Amino acid sequence: MRTQLLLATAAIALLRAAVPVAAHHSFAAEFDAAKPFKLTGVVTKVEWQNPHTIFYLDITDEQTKKVTNWSFEMGSPNGLMRNGWTRNTLKIGDVATVEGSLARDGSPHGNARAVVLTSTGKRLFAASSQTEAQ
Amino acid sequence: MSSARRVALAAAIVFAALYTAWAQAPAARRPVEPAPRLTDGTPNLGRVAGEKGVWDVPYIQNMGMRIPGPDGRTAAERGTAAESGGRGGAKAEPDVPFLPWARGIYDYNSRNNSKYDPEGYCLPPGGPRMMATPYPMEIIQQPEHKRIFMVFEGATHIWREIYMDGRPHPQGDELNPTYLGHSVGRWDHDTLVVDVVGFNENTWLDYYGHPHTDLLHVVEKFTRPNKATLRYEVLIDDPGAYSRPWTVAWNIPWNTSGELTEYICQENNRYLQKLTDDFGQPVLGGP
Repeated sequence: MRTQLLLATAAIALLRAAVPVAAHHSFAAEFDAAKPFKLTGVVTKVEWQNPHTIFYLDITDEQTKKVTNWSFEMGSPNGLMRNGWTRNTLKIGDVATVEGSLARDGSPHGNARAVVLTSTGKRLFAASSQTEAQ
Repeated sequence: MSSARRVALAAAIVFAALYTAWAQAPAARRPVEPAPRLTDGTPNLGRVAGEKGVWDVPYIQNMGMRIPGPDGRTAAERGTAAESGGRGGAKAEPDVPFLPWARGIYDYNSRNNSKYDPEGYCLPPGGPRMMATPYPMEIIQQPEHKRIFMVFEGATHIWREIYMDGRPHPQGDELNPTYLGHSVGRWDHDTLVVDVVGFNENTWLDYYGHPHTDLLHVVEKFTRPNKATLRYEVLIDDPGAYSRPWTVAWNIPWNTSGELTEYICQENNRYLQKLTDDFGQPVLGGP
């Protein structure tokens, strides 16, 4: 019990360390923090735009081998640049792993919290608007 | 306790200790510098010549958690109430003097997770929410022109002008309702006091959805107790939505290396394009 409490405290501290740098539309209305994901795929498109940069990955289902094109929402370019991004951080053909929360409507869409580029292993915070504990 | 649990416990303790040290280090390491002043002695709420710097406006989601108590501190500052996740609606906020309709609207906004937040459609924040939308901001004083500008990177890349020349607010129809209202300011010793009226009703007070009407009158007090801190205190006086005025307050930290960049929210406003109403119909209307 005590261990769990301490781990929970540490988890909260971690969440606090990732200060949101963008706030836009309601995160909770569109995404479900209770549905976290971690997905890896190949970049097919990057829309470096306000109010949200959106990038697309072709993700292959390991069992069915079916390929689905997913879209992931990040923060705005100003917030992303403060977190170490440039417009060329993700390029078409790159392999990347995304962590975040799934869309509530069940579509292949998610809010990205962090992105790891497979070629460099570098982990970048995605300037997500997710701050509300659910 | 199993060995795995012991390792986890030790890791958690080490992490918590490191985090605490990290979180407290900047305050402990950096001496508190006094607030700078302009040549005439007025507090300088902006940069010192030759230096960079912006105010890192915090993300204040729920102003109901920012009401100072008898000790001057808010529930959020005392750590007695979480800023996030506390979607308890009006009944969880006994210190907010809602009128019945405002209570109903606030509960509705709480239930639908602020789905219809106007700032989510790239409309500007109105009133005190400018100081609660988490993007950098600068205050530029022009005493020779008797005016002060506040320039906001966030929301919709907005700026406001505060008239310091002693003029009154326009009266009657001369007062055109706008998003940011009509601001007149004065110095009360070291406090910049700004009186604002003339708001339209297209904004919310905060992300959680406290409503307001066009009767909204706010009195903002800006102080810089030291170089690193801007204290923001604002009286919310809206007899159309609240039974009495209420005050909220928070600190805005100075970022010594910050500069404003561009943020044009309207560029690719997909949220509004996709938004449906409570009956599943597109908010923007059909073909």
